[in-house]
Amino acid sequence: MSDKRLQRPVRVLDSLPMLIVCIAVVSVLYAVCLLRIASNNAMRYMIQIFLYITMGQMWNLLSGFAGMTSLGQQLYIGLAGYSVAIATAKLHLTLGVGLVMSVAVSVVVALVLSLLLFRMEGMYFSIATWVVAEAFEKLFLSWKYVEQGSGLTIRVVPYPKIEEICAVSLTVCVMSIAVVYLLLRTRTGLGLTAMRDNLTAASAVGVNVFNHKLLVYVIAAAFTAVSAGIFFVNKGIVYPESGFGISWTVSMIFIVTIGGSGTVSGPITGAVIYVFLQELLAHYPGWSNIILGAITILVIFFLPKGIMGTLQEKLRFEIFSAKRFSFAKHK
Amino acid sequence: MSIILEFVNVNAGYGRIQILNDLSFAVDEGQVYGVIGPNGSGKTTMFNALLGLIKPSSGKILFDGIDITRTSANVRCKMGLGRTFQVPKPFENMSLYENVLVAAVHGGTHRERFAREIALSSLRLTGLYDKREIKAGELALLDRKRLEIARALGTEPKLLLLDEVAAGLTDAEVKDIMRLVADLKAAGHSIVWIEHIIETMVGSTDKLMCMAEGRCVISGNPREVMESAEVQRLYLGVDENE
Repeated sequence: MSDKRLQRPVRVLDSLPMLIVCIAVVSVLYAVCLLRIASNNAMRYMIQIFLYITMGQMWNLLSGFAGMTSLGQQLYIGLAGYSVAIATAKLHLTLGVGLVMSVAVSVVVALVLSLLLFRMEGMYFSIATWVVAEAFEKLFLSWKYVEQGSGLTIRVVPYPKIEEICAVSLTVCVMSIAVVYLLLRTRTGLGLTAMRDNLTAASAVGVNVFNHKLLVYVIAAAFTAVSAGIFFVNKGIVYPESGFGISWTVSMIFIVTIGGSGTVSGPITGAVIYVFLQELLAHYPGWSNIILGAITILVIFFLPKGIMGTLQEKLRFEIFSAKRFSFAKHK
Repeated sequence: MSIILEFVNVNAGYGRIQILNDLSFAVDEGQVYGVIGPNGSGKTTMFNALLGLIKPSSGKILFDGIDITRTSANVRCKMGLGRTFQVPKPFENMSLYENVLVAAVHGGTHRERFAREIALSSLRLTGLYDKREIKAGELALLDRKRLEIARALGTEPKLLLLDEVAAGLTDAEVKDIMRLVADLKAAGHSIVWIEHIIETMVGSTDKLMCMAEGRCVISGNPREVMESAEVQRLYLGVDENE
């Protein structure tokens, strides 16, 4: 075998300088939020980007790694929105308690549903997750306590300022990336990476597929919920359709596919592109979904591994990598 | 010599279709145990039952003296059942090293630091050491088959199940695989090997079983089994005395 192959074929850029760059970028973003350097409008985009990155990371963990193509993540978005609304408007609790409640409710629902959903795989799992989310939408549409279809307003005094919402979104976003990255560096992450490539083979070499799936499903529910909670605080009101609509998951699929499924950097890139595209296409209401769909198809055709996936493969580098080397560390 | 694996009157199948009929056999520790049989004779079903992918309707499977009939697949792997896939299923986007590392960490239940050495020695044993940083998806068939074995070895199996590892290879490559199996045996592994290539079965196994209609038709010395009237009839469809 040629020695060329023995050289590190992929450069992993996760080192101290990379960490410093990340900290610098995050610090700048915090400064931009909290010092009100950005306009309100810019901050609205930033909030959207941060929250979509979080949701994208979670959907990527589900679909890109654990082989669970859920079409029902909007379930946890709706539950989170209503949890925050009920906590503040009905129970007169603080916003923080509302967000904690949204995570708690989602985790409990995820644990209960896993008993049902994990009996299914592939397409059946996807459809089942969607059906469950739809069922919850119908439930909230006819539930008197939450004002049925007319929606529930989030009531807190004083209402949080946009820069506060922006900073919290950024925090959640950074946490979600850190959690995914650190998870991938553990033995569980090694198992998940194997599951990404082949579920059957992963279980044949001793990976406890069920436990890995459950862990990922619960983490995804929790982070999706908290980001959705913040989203609805920014909106001020939650409706059954705006909470439990399939369009949430469609966005996540777009973000992950465009950015690169099975990579940590993919959903970050995908979310930024998605938010800007959405804004651009807002001027052509009838066309926006058609254009987004067309872009997705083009990317699948020409860049099947997404933008970051393809870029990393062509340029032979990886960031936020789960890669393990057989080489000793200092060599 | 102690018995590492025993099937006791195992009945199993898919839905209402019964494939295995009262299958019984035993494998001694340190042996290479060959399994042949015409298509549809239940070889793969036997493997699936052994691996926990299907549940027998009756009968018992004993592994190293423990009843594993109802044990789940990943637990069996941790107990020491290592398998290869007939059609290789590598983790394509992971390097060979990572492929075997997963096996050593999860199947071998080692921490990554210790798993490293096991992974590297499995790769050395299977002749893949120099290619360890290549992505598994870039491998040719022979190396994919070797990787299947390396990955199974990574789980530190007491018993290694080879499912047609020589199928689809050239004659020279088949010889390579036979050499590898001899090395594995010398290293003290017990092996159950399903294969259609007669040369491998006669040349590499200590004991050979021929299956038909979900039963063990005959088992014993490989050469005697091959020359027996039952096997001749099953494979050639004629009785020489007629």
